[in-house]
Amino acid sequence: MRPALTPGRAEVPTDSVRGVRPMPGAAGRTRTGRRRLAGYLVRALTASPLTAAAALMVAAWLLLAAGAPLVAPYAPLQQDIVHRLTPPSWTHWAGTDTVGRDVLSRVIYGARISIPVGVISVSLAVVLGTLVGGFAGFLGGPADEALMRATDIMLAFPTVIMAMVITAALGPGVRDAVIAIMIAWWPSYARLTRGTVLSVREREYIDAARSLGVSPARVLFRHVLPNAMSPTLVLGTLDVGQAILVFASLSFLGLGPPPELPEWGSMIATGRNYLHQWWLGTFPGLALLTLVVALNLVGDGIRDAVDPRLRDR
Amino acid sequence: MRLARYVVRRVLLLPVLLVGVSVLSFVLSHLVPADPATAFLGQRAAGDPVVVAAFKHRWGLDRPLPVQYWIYLEGLLHGDMGTSLSTRRPVTVDLRERFPATVELAIGAMVLSVVVGVPLGLFAGVRRRGIAADAARAVSLLGVSTPVFWLGLMAIILFYAELGWAPAPGPLGLEVTPPPTITGLLIPDAVLAGQFGVALDALKHLALPAAVLSTYSLGSLTRLMRSTMIETLTEDYVRTARAKGLPHWSVVVRHAARNAFIPVLTVMGLNFGNLLAGAVVTETVFSWPGLGQYAFEAASSLDFAAIMGVGMLIALTYLVMSLLVDVTYAFIDPRVRIG
Repeated sequence: MRPALTPGRAEVPTDSVRGVRPMPGAAGRTRTGRRRLAGYLVRALTASPLTAAAALMVAAWLLLAAGAPLVAPYAPLQQDIVHRLTPPSWTHWAGTDTVGRDVLSRVIYGARISIPVGVISVSLAVVLGTLVGGFAGFLGGPADEALMRATDIMLAFPTVIMAMVITAALGPGVRDAVIAIMIAWWPSYARLTRGTVLSVREREYIDAARSLGVSPARVLFRHVLPNAMSPTLVLGTLDVGQAILVFASLSFLGLGPPPELPEWGSMIATGRNYLHQWWLGTFPGLALLTLVVALNLVGDGIRDAVDPRLRDR
Repeated sequence: MRLARYVVRRVLLLPVLLVGVSVLSFVLSHLVPADPATAFLGQRAAGDPVVVAAFKHRWGLDRPLPVQYWIYLEGLLHGDMGTSLSTRRPVTVDLRERFPATVELAIGAMVLSVVVGVPLGLFAGVRRRGIAADAARAVSLLGVSTPVFWLGLMAIILFYAELGWAPAPGPLGLEVTPPPTITGLLIPDAVLAGQFGVALDALKHLALPAAVLSTYSLGSLTRLMRSTMIETLTEDYVRTARAKGLPHWSVVVRHAARNAFIPVLTVMGLNFGNLLAGAVVTETVFSWPGLGQYAFEAASSLDFAAIMGVGMLIALTYLVMSLLVDVTYAFIDPRVRIG
């Protein structure tokens, strides 16, 4: 897990923390990684009421994000300068901001930015990491050595600083923050995928495919990667919450979307300048906290379902 | 003998990795579309080609990239990290000034997370049902889920703006004269100079930001301590110790906890590098004059030399910490050396 902006992202080396191990024997089955992940999700939800509650919370946030125009009492950009900085009341449940925009509506709309950013940046990083790790593990030899040393160096470079440099250079904005998170995060997925590919590569069905004359590219993409991807996918779901936190931190530092957009990190940044108007920063932060806690609980649940030995740890 | 060879190999690998990091940070900061001339000169001056050319020539930005990198690397070997565009001072001087504040903050955070997290994880690992277990679960979950910048803001609003318990953000009170610089760390310097009032003031200023920064490592340490404790308690030597009739807590503390602490030590070492990097946000919230703020200012003004300096310094700390951890590990556990 990653501390860092949210103090970066802890590249915790011991896998017992991340807790994702390749399932013994699982690679031999023909189900693809994605379908297996769905199976884990079902098992996770039925195993623990806490995970189920967390999943409900995530679902609630997804619904709020999707239905924001219907749910939010005001438009997120609608200004009411006369009623600026009013504390929470019956007309504005979470108060109004510096130009009289409704804080609650902006918090609800904020989910429409944060959730897609978290999911997309992690997905891109997983894809890139899987490709690099897959090639490294599959090819072996000097290519493997070169690719893995490159990821080592990427991992040694502080994630936050890297994301800061990238966003600062590309120019602040949602798209560039997504790219920054992707570039900073793919190495850990590459490492994990390489490890699983190394074990999958040695299996009999891979030998069988090879001896049937299947081309190496097809062996990699149709036989090795689908069977090596599930740990990486699990790690990815665990990371969505952290990606949302990193994005909010970048945005808090002014490296995210422009300030008028309803984004949680930049809303909290506004709160810094108005210490006595506590509602400015409190509500967007609570939104972040509830969403990330729920995502982490669901991630833990999935991890337990993948490897029941890790339960209670 | 094999241990010595292992250590030598790891130490020799360090400069190679550092060169890699320097290439990476160089490429990252130079292959981007943004132009430092615009960021630094401002829109109007950047419209004048003569000014821009002079600016680029002055800072060597008109040379080919490999040449620029070579010049940087040559300087690096002589302990010169270039000159910061925004402070106009050598980056090494800036870093030397800023680094101690961040280290002090990170040490404070580390101490807090160990003092709270290790005992909590230990109890939770021994009694797997009950208050300690629930508390440990909550701490580890909230620790890794809480947005640090938000927590910092809430802490300032509550303890400074509303209750007035905490001093204003910053490393020292405005009326307090900083102690003479010996180590660069405020609290040790003040104690060494015998100025205990200053040390106390610095400690008061450090408490809140350090507590806020510690949340993530507190969460992960608690969780790790708990899981390794559970694992160690199932080991044969623990059963043997129990079978010998040793009292419960003696087995827990002297046999299990000691061994459970080894992986925790590893993560602590690696977490320290992360704490340094994580200080960026905390420092911004608490107006802490450290590396994080410096990095942030450098990144916003595309001050390449400064950005690379910060990146290299944190990467170096991270690499040295992981080297120390691995060597300590190899020393304690001979099985590691085979790998």
